[in-house]
Amino acid sequence: MKNKMMLNRRDFLKLGGAGLAGATLLGVAGCGGGGGGSGSSGPKVSVGSKKFTEQILLGEMYAQAFEDKGYDVKRELNLGSEQVMDKALQDGTIDLYPEYTGTAYVAILGKPPESYPKTEAETYKEVAKFYKNRKDTPMRMLKPAPFENNYGIVMLTKTANEMNIKTLNDLAAKSDQLVFSSYSEFQNRSDGYDNMKQHYPKLDFKEIKIVNDLGIRYKALAENEADVGIGFTTDGQLASPKLKVIKDTKVIWPKYYPAPVVLQSFLDKNPDAVKILNSVDQSLNADTMRKLNGQVDLEQRDYEDVARDHLEQAGVIQG
Amino acid sequence: MEDFMAVLQRPDFAENVRIHIEYLLLATAIGILISIPLAVLVHRSPLASTSAINVGNIGRAVPSLAVLVLMFPLFGLGFDSALFALTLVAIPPILINAVVGLRQVSPQILDSAKGMGLSGRQILSGIQVPIAAPIIFAGIRTSAVQVVASATLATFIGGGGLGDYIVEGYQRNSTAIALAGAISVAILAFLTEVGFWGLERAFTPKGLKIAQRRGRTGK
Repeated sequence: MKNKMMLNRRDFLKLGGAGLAGATLLGVAGCGGGGGGSGSSGPKVSVGSKKFTEQILLGEMYAQAFEDKGYDVKRELNLGSEQVMDKALQDGTIDLYPEYTGTAYVAILGKPPESYPKTEAETYKEVAKFYKNRKDTPMRMLKPAPFENNYGIVMLTKTANEMNIKTLNDLAAKSDQLVFSSYSEFQNRSDGYDNMKQHYPKLDFKEIKIVNDLGIRYKALAENEADVGIGFTTDGQLASPKLKVIKDTKVIWPKYYPAPVVLQSFLDKNPDAVKILNSVDQSLNADTMRKLNGQVDLEQRDYEDVARDHLEQAGVIQG
Repeated sequence: MEDFMAVLQRPDFAENVRIHIEYLLLATAIGILISIPLAVLVHRSPLASTSAINVGNIGRAVPSLAVLVLMFPLFGLGFDSALFALTLVAIPPILINAVVGLRQVSPQILDSAKGMGLSGRQILSGIQVPIAAPIIFAGIRTSAVQVVASATLATFIGGGGLGDYIVEGYQRNSTAIALAGAISVAILAFLTEVGFWGLERAFTPKGLKIAQRRGRTGK
C-alpha cells in the first residue's frame, strides 16, 4: 500500500541529510540503494520490494523461499514507491515484487477514488486483468495473501469503550471532542482525509496534529497526547489488545491485499515460481504479519532472522 | 511545477514558515542566553573551559533526531519538544566559540587593562567581549543555520515547520512537494546566514575591523 510512513533509522538519516543538503546546497541528494549477491548455478531471480517493514519482510521471505529451492537470488529490497517498482519490473531490474491490490488499482491503473470496488475479489480481478493485458511487458499478479493491510483509524481500547465508539460513524459523531494525530500524506492525498470526511460528514476533530512518524503516533496515543491516530492494520503495535482499529462500515478504502507481481517472461521460464511464492503468501495471516512487523519495528530484530524463523516454523523452507 | 506552486499556496504554508522562523529565533536566542553566561563563567579556568568545550563537542555528535525522540515523553507532542531539542542543537557552537574567543584575548592586552586600573567586570565587558565578538558571532551564525536545517525534523513529533513538506514529498513520491519544502529551507538558511553576518559586522568593534583589514593587506 502507498508509501507507508514506517521509517527506519536509515530513512531518518536520509531525511535529516535532505534537510541539511537543502539548507546548504539548494539541492536534495539522492541515495542509490542496492548492491547484490553474485551467484553460482541455479535459475536466477531478482526480488524487489518497496521501502517499509512489511514490504521488505515479504521480499525477504520470497527471496529465502527461492533460495531454498536452489535459485540464485538477487535482492533489490528497499527500492522505492510503486511507480519505481513498476518501472523496475518493466526494464527487467527485478522479476517480481509484492504489491497491494488496492495500491495497484489506484496508483498503477490510475483509477479515480469513486470507482473503488467494494470487494477484494473484484479489485483483484480488475488489477490482474490489467497486468495480464499489458502490451509491452505482460505481468502476472499471483493469488493475494489472505490478509489485508489497510488504513487503520486507531484508538486506545479503553477510550473507545468509554466513549462507546465502535465504527467510524460513532467516531465522527464525537470527533469534536477528540484530537487526531495524522501525517502529511494522509491529509493531502485524494483517498485520505478528504475521502474520510466525504463519507463521514460529521467528522470534525477538535484538533489535527501532523506527526510524520508512525511510531510516535502510537506513542502519542499511549501517552494521551492524542485520542485518535492513523496507522495501518498490520502494524506491529496493533498486536496489543490495548489498541483498537475503529470499524470502517462504509468501506471507504480499496482493499489492500498483498500479492506478488511477476514478469510473465520469468514465469514462462520458471513455472515452479508460482508455487514457491504462493507457499510464502499462504503461510501468513493478519495476526502473523502484525507479529512479524512488530519483531522488526518494536524488537529491532533483523529482517533476515524474522523471515527465516517464520518460514521454518511454517514449514515453507527446511531449517 | 504546478504541484510546487500549489504547495506554496496552501493555507498551512505561511503558518509552517512562521513556525520554522520561530524555531530559528527562539532556539538561537535561548542558546545564546545559556551559552554566553556559561562561557563567561568557565573561561578563566583551563580545566572548566576544556570540559565545556568537550561537553559541547559531545552534544554536537548526538543526532538531533535522537534528541527529538528522547524529549517526547517529557514535553509531549509538538512545538515544545522540538524547541527544546533545537536549543540543544544551538548551544554547542555558541558555547565553544565563546569560550575559545574569550580565552584567546592576548595576556598583554589583559595586563595593560589591569595596569590601567580596570576592574574584572570592566575588562570583561569593555575588552574581552568586544575582542571576542567576531568569534562569538561566527558561533551564533553556525548555530542559527544548524537550527534552520534541523528544524525540518520537528515534523516527526508533530512540531510542524517546513519539514512537513519534505516528508510529504518523500511519502507521496513527489519531488515537487519535497522541493517546495527543501528550497524554502535553503532560502531561509541563506537569509539567516546573511542576516547574522550583517549582525556580526555591526557588532565588530571599529578598531578590530581596522586591525583585520591591516592584517589582510599585511601593513
